[in-house]
Amino acid sequence: MTEHERSTGFGDVTEADLREVFEAEDYVADEGIVTTVLLALRLGKPLLIEGQPGAGKTELAKVLAGGFDTELIRLQCYEGLAAENALYEWNYTKQLLSVQAGEDGVGDGESVFDEEYLFERPLLRALGREGDDDGTGDAGSAGDGTDPETAGRPPVLLIDEVDRADEEFEALLLEVLSDFQVSVPELGTVRAETPPVVVITSNRTRGLSDALKRRCLYLHVEPPSFEKERAILERKVPELDGAVAAEICGAVQRLREEPFLKQPGAAETIDWARAVAQLRHDGEPDSLSATEVRTTLGCLLKEVEDVQRVDDDLLSALLESAEQARHAVEESEEAEAEG
Amino acid sequence: MVPDHDGTGEEPGPRSREGTGERPEQRSGEETGERPERRSPGESSGSGPAAFDAGSPGEVPDFVAARDHVRSELVRFARALRRAGAAVPANAATEAARALVETGFEEDRARPALRATLVTRREDLATFERAFPEFWRRLTAGLDATGPADRPGPDAPDGGLAPLGGDPPAGEAPDPGDASDDGDGEAEATISRLSDPGEVGGVEDGEDEEATASVYSRSGRRTALSVPPSALRFGEGDLAGPMRELTRALSGLQGRRWVGGEGPELDPRKALRESFGTGGTVLNVPRRARAESDVRALLLVDVSQSVLDTLDRGFLLRFLHRARAAWRAPRVFFFDEEVREVTDEFDAPTVGRAVAALERAEAEWGGGTRIGSAVRTVTDTPGAVDRVTVVFVVSDGLEVGDVADLERGMADLSRRAAAVLWCNPLAASPEYEPACRGMEAALPYVDGLFSFAGPDDVAEMARQLRLRGPGGSVGYEYDPRRDRDGRSSGTAPGSADGSTPGPVDTDSPMEVDNA
Repeated sequence: MTEHERSTGFGDVTEADLREVFEAEDYVADEGIVTTVLLALRLGKPLLIEGQPGAGKTELAKVLAGGFDTELIRLQCYEGLAAENALYEWNYTKQLLSVQAGEDGVGDGESVFDEEYLFERPLLRALGREGDDDGTGDAGSAGDGTDPETAGRPPVLLIDEVDRADEEFEALLLEVLSDFQVSVPELGTVRAETPPVVVITSNRTRGLSDALKRRCLYLHVEPPSFEKERAILERKVPELDGAVAAEICGAVQRLREEPFLKQPGAAETIDWARAVAQLRHDGEPDSLSATEVRTTLGCLLKEVEDVQRVDDDLLSALLESAEQARHAVEESEEAEAEG
Repeated sequence: MVPDHDGTGEEPGPRSREGTGERPEQRSGEETGERPERRSPGESSGSGPAAFDAGSPGEVPDFVAARDHVRSELVRFARALRRAGAAVPANAATEAARALVETGFEEDRARPALRATLVTRREDLATFERAFPEFWRRLTAGLDATGPADRPGPDAPDGGLAPLGGDPPAGEAPDPGDASDDGDGEAEATISRLSDPGEVGGVEDGEDEEATASVYSRSGRRTALSVPPSALRFGEGDLAGPMRELTRALSGLQGRRWVGGEGPELDPRKALRESFGTGGTVLNVPRRARAESDVRALLLVDVSQSVLDTLDRGFLLRFLHRARAAWRAPRVFFFDEEVREVTDEFDAPTVGRAVAALERAEAEWGGGTRIGSAVRTVTDTPGAVDRVTVVFVVSDGLEVGDVADLERGMADLSRRAAAVLWCNPLAASPEYEPACRGMEAALPYVDGLFSFAGPDDVAEMARQLRLRGPGGSVGYEYDPRRDRDGRSSGTAPGSADGSTPGPVDTDSPMEVDNA
């Protein structure tokens, strides 16, 4: 059975459905993201997402799981991640106890190499979750009396920061991602009837192998534009005044022009907006002040060299950009009101 | 979970597809195009090309021809991207076709779909965006009711985007790969330029898209090289991957990680694990060893004017800084007529101190190069070279001292070091041959002579070393880019802005490879 002969579980998802999911989960996605995710769902191919930290890569997987009401299985990668942490491991203690329990050890026809003695790690677990439409009840949240349209959906497997793992782990992923199966020598081949939605994220700290890339659809998440960032703040930090949110976005856009060690991503902008909202009382619509920016800069910049780089000149430039953004938004709102 | 206990390979049946809305095309297993064939014009995706939603009554579009046209254009597009230096997987055209079947022929949706399937690296996004409009124009123009536009046959040169729509403009050669073709496709011309080798010769007047960089010809005479500015630009991140590959290729020192197999240490954990299968009896004792993952190196860098005029200084300093950060205590020496150790200058988090060291070197010397003398000085330095040390010599090989001295020094160095790799910025030229007397003298004692002008050269060096090892057939002469397209994908020597070689922002922090 090839990957294209296998049901993806999301073959009936339309672009409108996906946009609805993003809308419901407050995830602001442009056309490129929507189309690429839709393709990943319908073609049943893993989605490799690259981008700066804080660009919303992990969030995308969470949104898909939440929006389609299915389980999110997360595998956080790190250096030294091995098969026993990612795939499966035998429960040696239980095996040993079983062997020693009877005087004659394990009886005929019995084996300690059975599913009973197996620890499922995230990859194997993702293959095992069928989307619980047969009522067996072992598929987590997928079938717990939820919307029948979403019942039967496979889980979302998030392989986070794959660039942190060794190349050996990438090789391990190849079998899983191409055939959605895992070979357990003592048990046989475990194969997913309905492949999970696989989202792989990378912060580009190293290049990934061509073999892995070949199996994936590629999506690079750019830092959000001014308009997109405003839309994100509108959803994520609704308590903040709209004009102040525009100022924040304008300042962040200006900040991204600087050659910082760590550029602020959308996540940092949200943090900053929340911090500003917290420090203001009753949603004050006043303009951002230099003191306010200076005291909350830690939400945006996470390297001491970057913070030191923000001198008075840059601070003035930030405030100027913020003010321009505020004026531009106010003018467009007035024009809309008049029109 | 559906374990296949008997191991027969019999696969469980797929889930019922009834009512899932899954399209038959998804299971085709063949390259695309089936969707258009089965569609009637009225079923098209809205603003698709004329072949799918137009056509006068009674006029039956040639769907088979349209399907073939889409296929061939996709293959052409993938090839064109590859020739422009993009890393396009072998199966990308097939996947792109499947994606098009899903999205339909609406540009706003097809563009991200093709981007997702054809692009695998961030640095290739710009290439894709440049080439896409021309591809799309060709694709949609060919999908009219009369079938695809005329184009060269299947034996047309790879990657060249043929002139659109029948006959080429008057006076124009029909060769689709002709770089001088300025007919009707800006993107086509862009791709062609990216594929061009750097031609030695004057820069054309009015061609402000191209920058000029100084290089040395085989005979040592300086001439002008016309290089597209896009080929001169690279980000700091571009060096991370190649350096990691280089580290893996050269690692000869044991790191901290364990690997199984034959080794000096017992592996009790594995022994215990295996013993469960035999009722607690240990039948054999597995062993393990530390993985070789560290590199000891010595970097001997020629900072004479001839090298610094040729080589992007920013790239050189980043390479040295990364090497210093990633490898095990490598030592760095600058030399010209004298030699001086500058290892400590590369320990600072910014390039400022390294740049200062480089500028001091220029101010103090700035003359010819005595490579032989420098090699002997370094070889005599206690602890600098041992049998696990990989020596990198960054130099153009233009020796002004005694060549016999250089020969003796290199012979001694090659005996004492694990490997001697010569990185020559001049070898970036497709016409380069090691004809100068210094290079000729050193060559027999060098394990590999590599071009060294940018991250792509480091990547190529790492690739060759990983494949064949330092003792194998490695070097500039085995660089496939020389044969294919005259180093189109390599970063040409010179600076990022093309005016002054190698400007360096001294405030910019170095990117340190934590791994």
